[in-house]
Order: sequence, then structure tokens, then C-alpha cells
Amino acid sequence: MGQWIIAYTPLVDLFLLHLGFAYAQYIVLRAGVFSLATAGLAGIGAYTAGVLAVKLGAHPALGVAAATLAGSGAALVLSLPLARLRGVYQAIATVAFVQIVYSVNLWAEPVTGGAMGLNNIPRTAGTGVLAVAALGTLYLVWAMERTRLGRAFNAIRQDEAMAATLGVDIVRHQALAFALSGAIAGLFGALEAYHAYALDPGQFAFPFLIAILSYVILGGRNSVAGPLIGTAILIILPELARPLAENRMLIYGVMLILVINFLPRGIADSLILAWRARRLARPEPAAGEP
Amino acid sequence: MLRLRNVSRHIGGIRAVDDVSLDIPPGRITGLIGPNGAGKTTIVNLITGMMPLTAGSIHLGGTDITRAPAHRICRAGLARTFQNMRLMADETVIDNVMIGFHRHDRCALPAALLNLPSARRMTATLRRRAAAMIAEFGMERFAGFPAGGLSYGHQRRVEIMRALASDPAFLLLDEPIAGMNDVEADALAAIFRRLAAEGRGILLIEHDMRFVASLCDHVHVLDGGRLIAGGRPAEVLRDPAVIAAYLGG
Repeated sequence: MGQWIIAYTPLVDLFLLHLGFAYAQYIVLRAGVFSLATAGLAGIGAYTAGVLAVKLGAHPALGVAAATLAGSGAALVLSLPLARLRGVYQAIATVAFVQIVYSVNLWAEPVTGGAMGLNNIPRTAGTGVLAVAALGTLYLVWAMERTRLGRAFNAIRQDEAMAATLGVDIVRHQALAFALSGAIAGLFGALEAYHAYALDPGQFAFPFLIAILSYVILGGRNSVAGPLIGTAILIILPELARPLAENRMLIYGVMLILVINFLPRGIADSLILAWRARRLARPEPAAGEP
Repeated sequence: MLRLRNVSRHIGGIRAVDDVSLDIPPGRITGLIGPNGAGKTTIVNLITGMMPLTAGSIHLGGTDITRAPAHRICRAGLARTFQNMRLMADETVIDNVMIGFHRHDRCALPAALLNLPSARRMTATLRRRAAAMIAEFGMERFAGFPAGGLSYGHQRRVEIMRALASDPAFLLLDEPIAGMNDVEADALAAIFRRLAAEGRGILLIEHDMRFVASLCDHVHVLDGGRLIAGGRPAEVLRDPAVIAAYLGG
């Protein structure tokens, strides 16, 4: 048993970290923003936390708090120009943002270590801390879904003009979704920094963006369970066999093409809709029957 | 009073709406008729802030809503339905109606983020109010059904309920009985009369003359973006200009 836990701890840690990034991505998509900025926001969080720990010897709690604030602050600023864009233009602008974060990390070598990366970060975030953060995020997403925020995000995503005529302030709600997404991405970026000893700018670049997006698209963009299922499958699958792990990005690519073509709502949302359709199709039991 | 003054909307060289002035009084049903492409839906889009005006002004009571964004106009007390219905097809009837209550859906941000008891109470209250409204419209049976699977007439009713949920002073109905049979239309007519009796001002856009004539005190006729006639339904329908517009003269 003990052996088993030790053997699988790195996989569990990886899953918990990526679950956080998946939910950061999920929150903006749910609110109808086609943003792919999560990877960049996570990078900002990771480097904020990493630099504070390595260069200033800051307490990890301070680093985590600063990274969360930096992530949500950057997201809020980013939401201003994005409010004027829609759909694929938002996607392109946010891909550019991820690229900018990557370039700045390379360029600011005296602070970030540049291409050599940031090394010797004290490892302070273990499985327990990651689990608490992941559970907290899961609760937040689950809770928000059930309140005025979830209702408004839902309406905006499905039909923005309709939502506006019903009194929903689109700009404010999308800015809020962005800030939350940035806070979660920043937080898990910090946890990544405090978990991995070292950071590398390439870690938060385009391949990471695709990975995060894959979790949400495979699992489902609407239901809270979607990112959980998507992340679990895509993290565990490559670990089943060495050749799969070596071609991780290839697997993600093939999976995305298959899902988009044959299961465009993702696994969780398709299951929920199928289940609901079956429930409604069942004839109502006649009076007197048990 | 909902007051439009010299309202125009020009798209390229086309005058979709041209110098339209009309008053929609509270407690009355005002009709707006006209052939296809006359600009009726454009007027509703202009009033509700979904499209900017080229010229003119719109006042709701004492408030200038000419350039206000759509969500502010809703909060000022105006609601609409859509000619091409815009429901959330995969969501249940009750969830579709609940989003209509957004204007009254209030709780502090931390409570909303964490679903604290005050947010739960709000959700429960709105769910009760939505259920009551669905019952009032005789649709209890469908409350848990996805809206996209309902008949045309039922979907129209869900749209009207959603618009009413914001408790608007003025209601703009864009072809509310399109696709309905006479029985369904009569049931809606009774509802519209009751809403007007409650003091709400209604702008009714319709093709069905009989329906408009039976409900409206005053009818405006739009053709090619301009108002060509206005008055009591019986008089307007006898107007040679109106007959010519409808027959394509």
C-alpha cells in the first residue's frame, strides 16, 4: 500500500495542479469569453511566487498571496481590451498575451533567469497543500454555479444580446470571470513553483495552453464535472504506457480532433444531456402504482 | 410614457427606420403593424439598446434612454420578446424563466461566490416565483422540460414569462402569436389585457389584423421605415395608404 502511494504521488500531484489550471480556463469559457490566457496568467503567478522565494526569501504564504493577486490583476487589465473583441479575435489576442508573458520571462533574465529558468525554489507545496487548493477551487466553482453569477454567466454564454436585454451587465460579469480565472491560474502557478524546485519559461507557453484547453473541451465546458473528467483522462492516459507519454502532445491533438467532431459538448455534458433526455422520455407512472 | 422622437436608423444608404415619432402610453396596448421589412423589429431593437440610433431620442418616463446600454434599459423598466425566439434551448423552462428575474437577483458578491445562506435563499425565492408564474401561464407540466423541445406556442409563452419576470413598466412584444392557433392566441390576448389593466404599457407588433384590432386602442402603421398612418384600428384599416402598402401598391 505504502509503496503504491509513493509510486503514484507524482501523478496525483500533477493531476491536482492541472485540475486548478483546467478550472481557471473553465470559468472564462463558461462566462462566454473565448480566452486562452490561462497559461500566461499561470506563468505570471508562478514567476511572481518563484522570484519572491528565490530572490527575496519570502515566506511561501506571501508568495502564494502575491501570485494570486498578480494573476487576477493581470487578468482584469487584460479584460479591458478583450471586452471590445469577440470569439476568435479574443482567442488570437489571448494567444498573443501568452506569447508576451513567455517573451518577457526570457528577456528579464536578471530577475527570472531567462532561458536558463529559475532554479533552487524551496519545495514547500506537497500533496496536501495541492489537494486543499484543488478542493477549494472545486467548491468555489460548484457554489458559484448555483447563484446569480452562474445564472448570469450561463445566459451570457448562450446568447449575449438576450442576456443584455434581461438586464445582465456583460462587461462587468466577464471582467469578474476573468479576475477569478486569473486568481486561480496565479494560485496554481505559485503552487507549481513551490512544488517543482525550478521553473522554465517554456513551461507556460503554447503547448501548455493547448493542454489546459484540452482538459476542458474533452471533459465538457458547461457542467462542473467536465474539467475534472477531462483532466483525469488526459493526465492518467499518458502514464499507462511509456510511448503514450512520449507523444503526449500528439495524443492531445488527436483527442481534440475526435472530441470536436464526435462529441462536441465533451464527455460530462453529453452524458448529462443523454441522461436527462432518458428521464424525460420515460412515461410518468400511473396513479396507484408503486 | 415611452416616447420616441424623430427616431432614425440608417444602414448604408438604406433608411431602415426614418423619422419615427410615437408614444406608448402606460396601461394601454399600442399596435405597430406593417408589411414585412417595414422596420418594425428594428424599432424594437432601437428602443431596447440592441442597436444605436442614427438620429432622434427615446425617453422612458423622465429618463433619457437614447444611448443607454441594453442592460440599463432593462433596469429602467423595459422588457421585450423576440420574433425569432431566443431561449436557452438546452435549459429547463424554469431556468429560462429564472434568468428573467436577473434584475431582482441580488446578493453580496462573497455570498454569491461561495453560495452562502443568503444566496441560497435568493435562489429559492426566485425559483418559487418562477414556478408560480409558470403555473399562472398553465405550464406546470413543462417546468422541468428543456425549452428547446417545446411546441412553438409554448416557447412563445416562455419568452413572455421571461420578459415579465423583470416586472417591466413597458413590454415590447415582437409577433407574440406567430405560429399559434386561435385558442392559444385568445389565451395570450387575455393575458395581455390583464397586463395592460395592471398599468403596463404594451407595444404589440403583429401581422394578424384581427388580433391587433381586438386588442389595441391605437395602431401605428409602418411602411418602408416611415409611419404612414395612425389611429383607431377600424379607421386605420380603411385607410387607402395602408391598404396600398399591404397589397404592395
